[in-house]
Amino acid sequence: MTVLTGPVDAVATVGRPRMTRWVVRLHRPALLAWAGLFAVVAGLLIALAGPWADAAAEGWRHYDACDFNRPCSYDQTAILRYKSWYNYTTYALNVLPFLVAAWAGAALTGRELESGTARLAWTQGTSPARWLAVRLAVPALALTAGTSLLFWLHHRAWAAGRGRIDTAKTWYDTGTFHANGPTTAALALAGLAAGALAGLLLRRALPALVLGAVFMSGIWGTTQQLLPHLWPAVTRTAAKQQQLDLGAGLGVDHGMLTSTGGHLPLPACDSEAACDAAYAKAAGFYDTYHPYSHYWPLQLTTSALLLAVTGLLALACFRVLRRQVS
Amino acid sequence: MVEYRIDRHSGVATYVQIVQQTKQALRMGLLRPGDRLPTAREVVEATAINPNTVLKAYRELEREGLVEARRGLGTFVRRSLGAATADAALRAELETWTDRAREAGLDREDVAALFTAVLDQRFAVPDAHAAEPGTRVTADGTRRDTEHTQHTQHTQHTANSQGDPS
Amino acid sequence: MTDTALRAEALGKRFGRRGRWALRECGFRLPAGRVCAVVGPNGAGKSTLLALAAGLLPPTEGRLTVLGTSPAQARPRVGFVAQDKPLHPQLTVAETLRMGADLNPGRWDAAVAERVVAGGALDPEARVRTLSGGQRTRVALALALGKRPELLLLDEPMADLDPLARHELMGTLMADAAQHGTTIAMSSHVVAELEDSCDHLLLVGDGRVRLAGDIDDLRSAHRRITAEADADLGPHTVVESRTTGRQLTALIRPAGPLAGDWRTSVPSLEELVLAHLRSPGAPGLATAEAAESTGTTEAVTEESAA
Repeated sequence: MTVLTGPVDAVATVGRPRMTRWVVRLHRPALLAWAGLFAVVAGLLIALAGPWADAAAEGWRHYDACDFNRPCSYDQTAILRYKSWYNYTTYALNVLPFLVAAWAGAALTGRELESGTARLAWTQGTSPARWLAVRLAVPALALTAGTSLLFWLHHRAWAAGRGRIDTAKTWYDTGTFHANGPTTAALALAGLAAGALAGLLLRRALPALVLGAVFMSGIWGTTQQLLPHLWPAVTRTAAKQQQLDLGAGLGVDHGMLTSTGGHLPLPACDSEAACDAAYAKAAGFYDTYHPYSHYWPLQLTTSALLLAVTGLLALACFRVLRRQVS
Repeated sequence: MVEYRIDRHSGVATYVQIVQQTKQALRMGLLRPGDRLPTAREVVEATAINPNTVLKAYRELEREGLVEARRGLGTFVRRSLGAATADAALRAELETWTDRAREAGLDREDVAALFTAVLDQRFAVPDAHAAEPGTRVTADGTRRDTEHTQHTQHTQHTANSQGDPS
Repeated sequence: MTDTALRAEALGKRFGRRGRWALRECGFRLPAGRVCAVVGPNGAGKSTLLALAAGLLPPTEGRLTVLGTSPAQARPRVGFVAQDKPLHPQLTVAETLRMGADLNPGRWDAAVAERVVAGGALDPEARVRTLSGGQRTRVALALALGKRPELLLLDEPMADLDPLARHELMGTLMADAAQHGTTIAMSSHVVAELEDSCDHLLLVGDGRVRLAGDIDDLRSAHRRITAEADADLGPHTVVESRTTGRQLTALIRPAGPLAGDWRTSVPSLEELVLAHLRSPGAPGLATAEAAESTGTTEAVTEESAA
């Protein structure tokens, strides 16, 4: 009676574990929420780019033609509709990376480590590295696809108002700048990696939710600081008597020019005499800024920087996981 | 087919219980030559005992020539137990002896104790707990000699039969 | 193929840089095909040991070999059920099993998994979050058995089960061991729960391996003795001794002939385990087949024979 035999022979038939569909299944609520948000924002942006921008432009045209000595009628509702919904959609696209970071920290990694289902997966034929790779890749794909379409739609909605609607945002308005271009996608991906890292570090859902958002705030703040310096800026100068109007583009720096051509910050002064003395040194003024032509270079360099950060964060995720699991 | 019933609190080693119950079934004619014993898998699935315990019991039965293992087929009964005629004669003698004991004033428990004592003395029953004490177990990696613990065997059985199962 | 399912050499695990050692200097060997009881009080290090073997934790020091390779490499051939039986609450029972099939291509035995689940009269469409503790255990065991592991590690597997389910699932485990030769290591702090099903013992106490070996061998290496109070226990290793009036009772490891006037008996598994747990200072013992390491477990040391 030799019942105690060797191992099962099935070991030889090796296949790849089918993990992807289960990541999709397990995070179906998040995926549905993303799909819903995408559909709503996309719908609004399409409306903004078309009829709503046209109506608002028409409203402004009437308004500008008004002679204010007589009663004047213009479509204020259309003007406000474009303005409000433009702001809401821009806001949504800017908040998205923070939501992604919080979700990734809480649901994607933190909760699975907290409840032990991560360990379940690792003892069910999925290596920890593969477990993490699929968990990063699937949402990354969904986010890249979704945000790419949304920033394109947003850019259309913005361009539809440009030059036609007086209250349309400038290209360098912080919210508009990100929502209009690929930095939105890059920020969302950075949020994904930052959140996943937070979850792996804390191994608990709720604290990881907070840390993910904190990480994202750090990334966002640093990006804002670095952004103007990621492409060589243009400097304009003006003689002392001339007015140099700021706001021709994304400002980097401005101040006084000395007679030798050196740059000085604008002095603070509170009385005419003091100001006269302070400005006595000025031979002129300078303004360093990015014109609209720098829009794409700035978008691309910022996105590249964010993607590099994303890569480093993802690498950190794998290293942390490796240290925690044998 | 025989079904084993394991009593955890009997103080009798599990494999001994299987051996005894198999023999019981052979005596009562529930198992006959050619019959297949349940596989280890079947036994352990029903009883939740360790498979090696079942195999140990079957090896013991095989050693006694009661069953034989046929590779890949199972374990089969080779011969039955207990000749009816010898049984009847012995039983008659035992009945006579028991009557005499009763007449001598022994009560039920006295008779049982006496019988068990003689049984233990005349039959080298397998240790109720474990195989040969002292063997295989080492600390320094060498096999320890069994001799020095051998003499404790008897004491131990006596202790057990006095109703002191460990 | 190796005849050793688990081998630990000077294994140690500490949580955090300055934390407590959950396990220290553990050395033992678990031969393949055994059903091993990992026994010890709560917090003794049982769960840590099983998690290390499952490749879920890196050891702080020493080495652990699983099925002849590293724990991480062995992971596809090892089944593990954690103490709290983690499962995805949002999946149904049927989905959970389908996930098992998808994650273990080439190994998954759907029939085995479904049989384990079917025993509990579970609705396959029931969500895991609605299941009772015992039903969750059943699903977790189905996942672990379905992948046809060569080594099955179970951390307190029976804690949530009623006696009937306990008996039935233990039967299922034993049947798997009988049919496939699966090595099983299961922990419990209730010795009686494992006594009939296990043939190998790993007693963990305070982060160390106190006893390792075949249960029968370990029992036969010890004697419970009753003697006169002034009896000389001489060269024997005394695990535990107690004097009541004129009588001395002790659990010893004989190192020579025992005095003829002592009453001796082979201790039960429970007596053996309890005696060692009550006497943390008593030296450990690993039988020849279960000994692996340098140092930690020794049969006879004189120091505690007092």
